[in-house]
Amino acid sequence: MKMHARVNGSPFVAEVPATSSLLEVLRGAGLTGTKEGCRIGVCGVCTVLVDNRPVSSCLYLAGCADGADIWTVEGMAEHAPSVVDAFVECEGMQCGICTPGQIVAVASMGPDVRDERDVRHYLSGNLCRCTGYGTIVEAALDAQARRRDEVAPA
Amino acid sequence: MTLAWPRVAGPRVDARDKATGATRYSADVEPEGALHAAVVRSTVPHAEVLAVDASAALAIRGVTAVVTAQDLERRFGDELCGRRVRDMPLLARDKVRFSGEGIAVVLATTRQVAEDAAALVVVEYRELTPVLDALAALGPGSPRVHEAPWRYDGAVVDQSHPPNLQSELVEGDPVAVDEVLGRAAHVVTRTYRTPSGHQGYLEPQCWTASPRPGGRVALLGTVKAPYRLREQTAKTLGLALEAVEIDPVPLGGDFGGKGGVVDPTLCAALALWANRPVRLALRAGEDMSATDARHPSVVEVSVGCDADGALLALRVDAVFDGGAYAAVKPIPSANLHGMAECALGYRLEAFSVRSAIAYTTTLPKGHMRAPGAPQAAFAIESALDELASAAGVSPVELRRRSVLSGGDRDAYGHVWDEARGAETLDAALEAADAAPRPEDRERPGRRRPVPSGWRRGRGVALYARPTAPPATTSLRLAPGDDGRLVVELPFPETGTGSHSVVRDELAAALGVDPENVEVRQVSTGLLPYDPGVGASRVTVGLTAAVHQLASRWWESGGTEAVTVETGSGTDRPALSYCAQVADVAVDPETGQVLVSSVVTAADVASVLRPRSHRMQIDGGTVMGYGFACLEDLLERDGQVWAPNLAELRLPTAADVPSLRTVLVEGGRGVGPANVKAVGELTNVPTAAAIANAVAEATGRRVRQLPLTAERVFWALHGETGGETGDEARDEARGEARNVARGVARGEEGPA
Amino acid sequence: MTESSGDAAFLVPGTVEAAVEALGAAGAVALAGGTSIGLMVGQGLLAPSVLVWLGRIPELSVLEEEDGGMSIGATTTLAALAAHPRVRATVPALADAAASVGNTRVRAVATIGGAVGHADPRQDLPPALLALDARVEVAGRRGRRRLAIDELIDGFMSTVLDPDEVITAVRVPLVVGRRSCYLRYTPGSADDYPTVAAAATADVADGVPTAVRLAIGGAGPAAYLVPEAEELRGVPEGRWASATAEVAESAARRADPVDDRLGSAAYKRRMVAVWARRVLERCLGAEGALP
Ligand SMILES: Cc1cc2nc3c(=O)[nH]c(=O)nc-3n(C[C@H](O)[C@H](O)[C@H](O)COP(=O)(O)OP(=O)(O)OC[C@H]3O[C@@H](n4cnc5c(N)ncnc54)[C@H](O)[C@@H]3O)c2cc1C
Ligand code: FES
Ligand code: FES
Repeated sequence: MKMHARVNGSPFVAEVPATSSLLEVLRGAGLTGTKEGCRIGVCGVCTVLVDNRPVSSCLYLAGCADGADIWTVEGMAEHAPSVVDAFVECEGMQCGICTPGQIVAVASMGPDVRDERDVRHYLSGNLCRCTGYGTIVEAALDAQARRRDEVAPA
Repeated sequence: MTLAWPRVAGPRVDARDKATGATRYSADVEPEGALHAAVVRSTVPHAEVLAVDASAALAIRGVTAVVTAQDLERRFGDELCGRRVRDMPLLARDKVRFSGEGIAVVLATTRQVAEDAAALVVVEYRELTPVLDALAALGPGSPRVHEAPWRYDGAVVDQSHPPNLQSELVEGDPVAVDEVLGRAAHVVTRTYRTPSGHQGYLEPQCWTASPRPGGRVALLGTVKAPYRLREQTAKTLGLALEAVEIDPVPLGGDFGGKGGVVDPTLCAALALWANRPVRLALRAGEDMSATDARHPSVVEVSVGCDADGALLALRVDAVFDGGAYAAVKPIPSANLHGMAECALGYRLEAFSVRSAIAYTTTLPKGHMRAPGAPQAAFAIESALDELASAAGVSPVELRRRSVLSGGDRDAYGHVWDEARGAETLDAALEAADAAPRPEDRERPGRRRPVPSGWRRGRGVALYARPTAPPATTSLRLAPGDDGRLVVELPFPETGTGSHSVVRDELAAALGVDPENVEVRQVSTGLLPYDPGVGASRVTVGLTAAVHQLASRWWESGGTEAVTVETGSGTDRPALSYCAQVADVAVDPETGQVLVSSVVTAADVASVLRPRSHRMQIDGGTVMGYGFACLEDLLERDGQVWAPNLAELRLPTAADVPSLRTVLVEGGRGVGPANVKAVGELTNVPTAAAIANAVAEATGRRVRQLPLTAERVFWALHGETGGETGDEARDEARGEARNVARGVARGEEGPA
Repeated sequence: MTESSGDAAFLVPGTVEAAVEALGAAGAVALAGGTSIGLMVGQGLLAPSVLVWLGRIPELSVLEEEDGGMSIGATTTLAALAAHPRVRATVPALADAAASVGNTRVRAVATIGGAVGHADPRQDLPPALLALDARVEVAGRRGRRRLAIDELIDGFMSTVLDPDEVITAVRVPLVVGRRSCYLRYTPGSADDYPTVAAAATADVADGVPTAVRLAIGGAGPAAYLVPEAEELRGVPEGRWASATAEVAESAARRADPVDDRLGSAAYKRRMVAVWARRVLERCLGAEGALP
């Protein structure tokens, strides 16, 4: 099938089997920031936004992505710069393999995700083997605070 | 915190690239025209391979070849492969020894085609009796996994050993232990078990090899010890060292894994064989069920104290399941250094450690964060609580009385000028009592308060680890094009922040802005040597090398490139203690264990990058928590039953306990930057601290990990009076000792 | 030369009728959020020749209250369900069940239709919907029909749906004053499938239950109802403790669990008794019930 979408704000066209995963499609197009981990929806390193929802791109079929507005980690500096900054400044990473997924997941958080407990539940499907999660949770809280400030400047 | 000199802790060198997806990892590299390799793997644990029928696979469009061991042998000879013991073929020859072992490789133009075709290769087996239990494997009458393991290059066993012995390690004096325990006021002897586990890195292993003119080959991939891999690959393929080049790329975590030499060497062989670039990328499930895993253990501990609760003697007899090949283990003994050092933390009149690793027809076992130490600490630190209860002293008192202080001689005879066991233990307890807010005592992700009927318990455990003097490494400093300085390193950034440490330290030593220092891993052709990432040696070795590099740079005028190669340091080693206090709540009706908090006190010297340092501590504790409560690869009947992350459950952000850390500062470290290693510290005592807390909460002792709700439930509700269900079925009690002892004497163990 | 994996046709009907038509083709499979289908296709466990994606059919995404019930369109996502204020207020068991499925990314796209159509016995929604006495509305070439959850799911990963049938909505009765609770037991990680799960509904008038339903998940080839819960009708509060314990024992007797990583069959059976009792106590509002 011919898949037409917007990826990171730009038009995107790819000739792919409808049953290929969005992950394969994106990586095949050189967007390798999105990682392949478990391929069964559990680890979250493949998280991307599809029409503003966080999805496991390893499970998401290319056919369903046709016509969608897709954002990957490569677009986060534009789409959610405060999240990227928060992860850099809070050192919310070690090896970095989970980082693209963590950042995209945090970028998808609504304002209802406020405290540490909310963040931990929201991110429970984004595994990290390195950090013990403390700095990731801090980065997420920091990003949420920055975004609240951006929406409603004090 | 005492800093040797002022440091700037700017963002990590790799932070922004990692946060924007720009960092390229092994799987992100795909050379033009590369063939994709998919491995046909054994589905049975032990069998002769009678025939491989690749006709259906070869009929698929896009498949270029199906390569077998014979094809490789014709080209490269029949050298086996291994880091220390060279006992593993690149592909199985005639016989498979574990389910998951590579038998053939499909090469195709896309990964999908290669994988689809691999599924069509038909292997005909004649099944042999599997060898599945490490204790039985070392006893008489067990089928042999290898005909004559003592003949392998690098073998650490001889013909007098049981034929399924991979390696053994003997420390201390068992006769003295018998004598001292004979006059101890209290002695306990208990057996503990731990399961097989995966390192749990989220980046599956992947390698790409490209042929180079003149029969050379370049390899890039998930490799944490490039210079060592180069030696192994060259040796196995009959190439000159210079003919193999390992190119730089960061790692998505290793935790002791990614040191294997067989798969990357296979990838290099395929590229040379096909004369095309070849990419061998493992799927996560394949990585978990066909590469290497943590050693399962059966550990018997005997420990005794006098009437006042002062420790007298410790005996540890361990039998580990080493799996089908010893090839992944790197240390000279081909055993586990965590076992060698396991009696380090306490003053003892006598000790004995015997560790036997058996060949079985299961997944080969390799290294995972502080190899051997978590298994040993779970056993020893659990047994100490059992001894405390027998002696009628508190577990804390028992430990405090026998930990090392400065000037003490340890059980091995080494006198430490600094040893801060009591300070570290007390710091942990004090912090546990003084939680700043009540919620810090609760798991931060928990939605509901803990119901009142649950039983609370607290457990303590200790671990002591030496920081060795700096090991050999090499660095190069050169002026860059843009006025910056470029420092070249021989090993990958695995996530620990080591490249940032180099930048910061060098900038500080040269008095320049860290922004003006660029850090680059370079390929093996460009620097003299490095032993690779592992054994917590990186920060120590690096900081020493950075200092030499800086002085060399000044000496030479600061304009020309300089290279340093450091020898192994001669500094005295330093000792770090880690004490953990776990608070748990147990649902008596279900056995569910909720670990509310783990407080860690770590005995440190200088801390170079506080957040990176903290993540080593937190990440280690979370890994310890996973080992304690969740993780089990479930190797049964020679198959891995949990070969994916849905089954092998790693801790999530919502599951982890509240983590608090106190640093016992002001310690004397190693090397010019005065550091103590921290990467393999906090994951070690966690399981025992939690098990001790569960025992306090329930009055029942579970001696097998993971501490699942079900195990605790049967301990509480089974008919076996406090033993776990598994333990009740355990006919092997006392057997670990007999087997380990028999092995040490050069006998076969009992039936 | 043969090709390796063939490609599937991917159809995106705009109406239920068109979907039914499309599903009539041999090897056609309905696709909603794709969290299960995507996984099975990716792992090579499923190779459909036609995928019929239901994500663009307006009728299926409607969530509305109508007399005496709530009609939840089949493609309503679990995230939407969990966050919906009326669902949370009127049928908390359903909101809680939806909120506890998998992880954020699963809930963001997985649908209520898939949550019942997949028929995996470890799933969260079937026991909750069973206790709530929900009906699944189905459209097919032979017309429309309504099925109870335990009529729809007839065994392990199996439903009675014809290949051309589409789940259009799940209808949940709304009864004033009815309480509902869902408890899932995940002693390892909250992201796991439940070891066992229990759901209950109760109508209580003047401190006496007038109707009680109990359903269990994770402990058999499909979620099941425990008819003995009816016996709690008319039981005064003073006898709830012993009466709920008896019902819980019946629930355990009806269990037919398997050994897996989440627990042995023997353990799961014991846990059914514990969690059945707990969910009943909580649903009845018993003193000291689990918070
Ligand atoms: C990582 C992960 C964790 C999970 N954890 C849980 C968990 O904890 N609890 C739990 O309950 N589930 C869990 N699941 C499973 C999940 O609930 C189901 O995958 C999901 O609810 C199915 O919804 P879907 O819309 O994605 O279905 P799809 O994958 O699109 O379809 C699933 C099945 O239902 C059929 N189907 C879907 N919609 C219709 C319809 N309208 N009419 C007819 N047939 C239809 C499909 O043909 C297919 O057979 C998990 C899944 C993943 C990947
Ligand atoms: S790779 Fe998609 S969730 Fe793990
Ligand atoms: S930073 Fe390595 S897995 Fe998260």
